[in-house]
Amino acid sequence: MWSAILSPDFFSTILRSTTPILFATLASSIASKSGITNMALEGIMLFSALFGVIFSSLTSSAWMGLIITMVIGGLIGLILAFFVLNLKTDEILAAIAINLTATGGTVLIMVAFSGDRGVSSSIKSISAPEVVIPLVKDIPFLGEVLSGQNILTWIAIIAVILLHLFLYKTPLGLAIRAVGENKDAAESVGISSRKIQYIALVLSGVLASMGGFFLSGGYMNMFTKDMSGGRGFIALAAASMGGNTPVGSLLVSLLFGIAQAFANIMQLTSMIPYEIVLMVPYLATLVGLAIFYYGQKKKKERLSGK
Amino acid sequence: MKKKLLAMLLCAGMVVSLAACGGSGEDGDSSGGGDDVYKAALLLNGTLGDKSFYDSANEGLTALQDELGEDKFTFKVEQMGATSADEAKWEPTLYDYCDDGSYDVIIVGTFQMLDALSKAAADYPDQKFIYFDEQYDFSVSENDNVYNVLYKQNEVSYLVGAAAAMMTTDETLPYVDPSNKVIGFLGGMENSVINDFLVGYIQGAKDIDPEIQVALAYVGNFYDSAAGKDMALTQYQNGADVGFNVAGSAGLGQIEAAAQSQKYAFGVDSDQAALLPEYADYIPTSALKNVGNSLIRAIKADMEEELEFDQTEYLGFAEGGVELLEDDHYSEVVPENIRTKIEELKQQITDGEIEVPTALGDNAMSNDEIQELIDSVKVK
Repeated sequence: MWSAILSPDFFSTILRSTTPILFATLASSIASKSGITNMALEGIMLFSALFGVIFSSLTSSAWMGLIITMVIGGLIGLILAFFVLNLKTDEILAAIAINLTATGGTVLIMVAFSGDRGVSSSIKSISAPEVVIPLVKDIPFLGEVLSGQNILTWIAIIAVILLHLFLYKTPLGLAIRAVGENKDAAESVGISSRKIQYIALVLSGVLASMGGFFLSGGYMNMFTKDMSGGRGFIALAAASMGGNTPVGSLLVSLLFGIAQAFANIMQLTSMIPYEIVLMVPYLATLVGLAIFYYGQKKKKERLSGK
Repeated sequence: MKKKLLAMLLCAGMVVSLAACGGSGEDGDSSGGGDDVYKAALLLNGTLGDKSFYDSANEGLTALQDELGEDKFTFKVEQMGATSADEAKWEPTLYDYCDDGSYDVIIVGTFQMLDALSKAAADYPDQKFIYFDEQYDFSVSENDNVYNVLYKQNEVSYLVGAAAAMMTTDETLPYVDPSNKVIGFLGGMENSVINDFLVGYIQGAKDIDPEIQVALAYVGNFYDSAAGKDMALTQYQNGADVGFNVAGSAGLGQIEAAAQSQKYAFGVDSDQAALLPEYADYIPTSALKNVGNSLIRAIKADMEEELEFDQTEYLGFAEGGVELLEDDHYSEVVPENIRTKIEELKQQITDGEIEVPTALGDNAMSNDEIQELIDSVKVK
């Protein structure tokens, strides 16, 4: 078991399984920062996984496929924003509607496009490339982990930095946080909360769509029915555990990825019933969440002088 | 005044709809088709186009209709969807069809429909049902109106296990490291059918090579293909050369993992080499259940009124219920000596010389015995 854990493959698995969760967690973070829970991440990821396959095939380019998918992801974010902000629909109900549409809609679109219902294997899609880093790849162990990862894994990590800078160093980022903290106070200084929340939800949709694209164009190389597998919901928990900050999102997603890779190794040696092993990632997240909020509570108590 | 009127209208509406319900119930009881046409309803807790089970069932019924003609046999397929959002409509749909009462037989399958069927079979004693691919518990009601057909997946899985065990040490194969004796198994989740696959697979492999080790993993569902791929990659990275997936579309992850690691993965339930032509080099062949054949067999027997609706039948190689696909692709990938041995084993199973252990039915292994078998081939 230890030889399996200490192998470069183990660390590659961590990065690979972290990537889609990380994109979705960032997406959830930015929406929550603006004061809206984006529960439609699951549906956006599922749609994006399918559209990634379809458009990379139609344009014969992974990059064009990714860009079109991101536009569609942003559009779904826009639709959610329209329902929530203009039509005053409950944000959870609107999101459930999008998620349900995605499970049926992806199959419908796949049938219309290729005649398949379960798997998109007849669509010749193009996956995002893997990055071989010169010099680094020759370093023993580390090279095997870092080099050869999918480019979207690196984009996810860059997105953490960019999103951090955006939220904390730009006026628009400040406005998003202000609206999320107190809508009325933000309105009173002339910020249009509706406009800000529109922007946040569109960005959230774009980020989630990159996670969805990775599922079928990097992680796997085809679309399979319902392949988002609940990652959009895990991301909601992960984001709130990470305090809805980009860096927090990265740490929690990594924790989840590590637990996932660890669970895979545990299954291999099958010492513990698999039902328990499959709980490990969720259990780790839950325990982390409890520790985090306990720390928060202590901090609050200290600040209020009790 | 307006409110009162509305209330009265609502009351009237309710009375009428109640009466309608009662009416349709009575219709249901006087069922049986009436005329000479034998009508079947196939209710799928999924959709057609799975290139597997459900398509097989549909093709079987279509073939039967072509053979007998529409004046003798017709059928209707209802696709209820497979997701958790669809689950809520499985039972009501089944009841709708029972209420209708015009179908000679209603066909449902898989373990997910067991609860709904058990209730419907008790509530509609005159409606006949065919239930495939999971054990029906006849003790839940006293009505003899369910014919239960199961497949000896353990038999076909035995052959896959034997082939995998031979392949993993075969030096002539391009994608095999003959130095170790590890093979993999990826299941969706633990249930009696998956266990039946598993015990057959392990026993087949052990009978070829007692020192074989089997890496075992469950995805936890039947749809997360990316998670399945990671688990299978872990198996391949830790010495497995050949794998077998029984995990629905999550199992497709194992096939991608095999292609990426340059290893082998056997397909299941449909011809996965044909389904995934890019990966065909890594898929020696697929293990199939012939749901279609079994339905033709059952309905023909029922037309002669010879089908017994209180029994469970297990269909194996002898009855055409299962098969290991032996096409040109299989001959290309799998060396001749292995194929010859597989043919021998199949004959021995058909003749009853080899009795494959099972996780289903009266001779089922207990959970402890299954665990013992799994432990005996644990990866070291």
